[in-house]
Amino acid sequence: MRRLVSAWVLPAVIGAIVCLSGQSGIAADDYDYDLVHSSVSFKARHLDISWIHGRFNDVAGKFSIDRENPAKSTFELTIKADSIDTANKARDEHLRQPDYFDTKQFPTITFKSTSTKPIDGGYEVTGNFTMHGTTKKVTLVLKGGKEHEFKGVKRVAFSTELPLKRSDFGFDKSAIGPIGDEALIFIDCEGMRK
Amino acid sequence: MPDPLVYLQATGVAAIVSALIVLMVARQRLLVENHRWDAANCVALGLGLAVGGQLLAQRIAWPPASGLDRFLVIIIPALLGIEFIAAAQSIPARLTWILRLSLAAAVPRILLHDSVYLSGPTAWTIWHSLLILSLGSLLLASVWLLLVRLFERSADASIPLSLSVAILGAGLSVMMAGYIKGGATAFLLVSVLVATTFATRVTRNRQAPVILGIGVVSLFSVLFIGTFFGRLPLDRAFALGLAPLLCWATEWKRSSDRNGWFVGLIRLMLIAIPVIVVLILMKRDFDRNIAPLLGGVQINVSNLKIEKVTER
Repeated sequence: MRRLVSAWVLPAVIGAIVCLSGQSGIAADDYDYDLVHSSVSFKARHLDISWIHGRFNDVAGKFSIDRENPAKSTFELTIKADSIDTANKARDEHLRQPDYFDTKQFPTITFKSTSTKPIDGGYEVTGNFTMHGTTKKVTLVLKGGKEHEFKGVKRVAFSTELPLKRSDFGFDKSAIGPIGDEALIFIDCEGMRK
Repeated sequence: MPDPLVYLQATGVAAIVSALIVLMVARQRLLVENHRWDAANCVALGLGLAVGGQLLAQRIAWPPASGLDRFLVIIIPALLGIEFIAAAQSIPARLTWILRLSLAAAVPRILLHDSVYLSGPTAWTIWHSLLILSLGSLLLASVWLLLVRLFERSADASIPLSLSVAILGAGLSVMMAGYIKGGATAFLLVSVLVATTFATRVTRNRQAPVILGIGVVSLFSVLFIGTFFGRLPLDRAFALGLAPLLCWATEWKRSSDRNGWFVGLIRLMLIAIPVIVVLILMKRDFDRNIAPLLGGVQINVSNLKIEKVTER
């Protein structure tokens, strides 16, 4: 009897444990931000009559999506502030200066999730958004999450919009001038599974 | 863009506060010993800057996050503290200079703290950092020593006034390079320096190390911040930073019967030359790069070039 246990039951139990642990590992997919098929853009008011559009060209990020336990999903994004692009070289240089983004002092804009909640059509992600050296808790409504396998690589995509006030992030109110305090950030990101 | 009227009011009030403190101390004959005048100058400069900053509603982050914040809340108070202790306690000149030179050694490091130059993936190498920081400290200490030495040879209001002209030029240059807040800070510094200098002159007092100290460190810091955080070209920063040394030119030939006013005028004219040249170059670049952003349209389509500057 003891021989039967050691020959069949123990390997079966160990095998089951390994399978279960393997399954829980598979449940969370890790993705890298695909710079080619994603964009982080923004628009800000000009003179309170129109909008100036721009984008950040250098963005990195990763996210982990746990379909079985969405609360365990995590999202991270790092934007290089220096890569700002408003289709006007002189304006971009001006925006990099300390009156605006102060990119030599605050080189990155980051978001790191702290909690995730599934909602209809996506996720509600709360996390720390750091810009211009100031960190605030924000909640992003990530729409999407549809998966697609292309050339053997699994991809997933999300979109979100984040309205914010520059003055909340340490931008000097007196230097806000013709470019308004409020800005809207658009994040459309596609992730490639690692 | 900050409201120019607010700046005018703030600089005016700051100047009045600084001058009044010096004049009140003189009128009350509060200070018998000569060297203690510098303690009064410290208070005058410090209060003038504090009142001016308050009127400008200058937002300073704590802990100080930017180079400008660190200049205003670490470097200026540290310098005023050193000069106040030196004056009030009348500590030996050698010890005062050790403290001043220690501050000069720390200023570039403090201004660049936590920036991309010293931390992060694109940071300078340790040798590169050491070289830049040491050169910065050396320049600051050299200009400081040489101007104090010149003041000891011929105590004259033209030296702090020349420094003020250089700081004004530095501030305008930094503003025209696109860093408005950084450059505008220079106006406040100039107003309290000029007011304290004139008030000290009116009271026939010749003590001015603190005025020179604040002047030299302010000039260096505005240029350093403008170069490393803004877009002030390095060669122009050098020209403005070394310009006050032109005051030494009047020492080329010394004569006992020379007119103090004439020497002062020559010094101011000498220093105005590089300052004006730099300002002309900065204005040219400003018109080319920044002015169109503030109110113009520039369209370049192959050979077709339409440039129209309209009201913002």
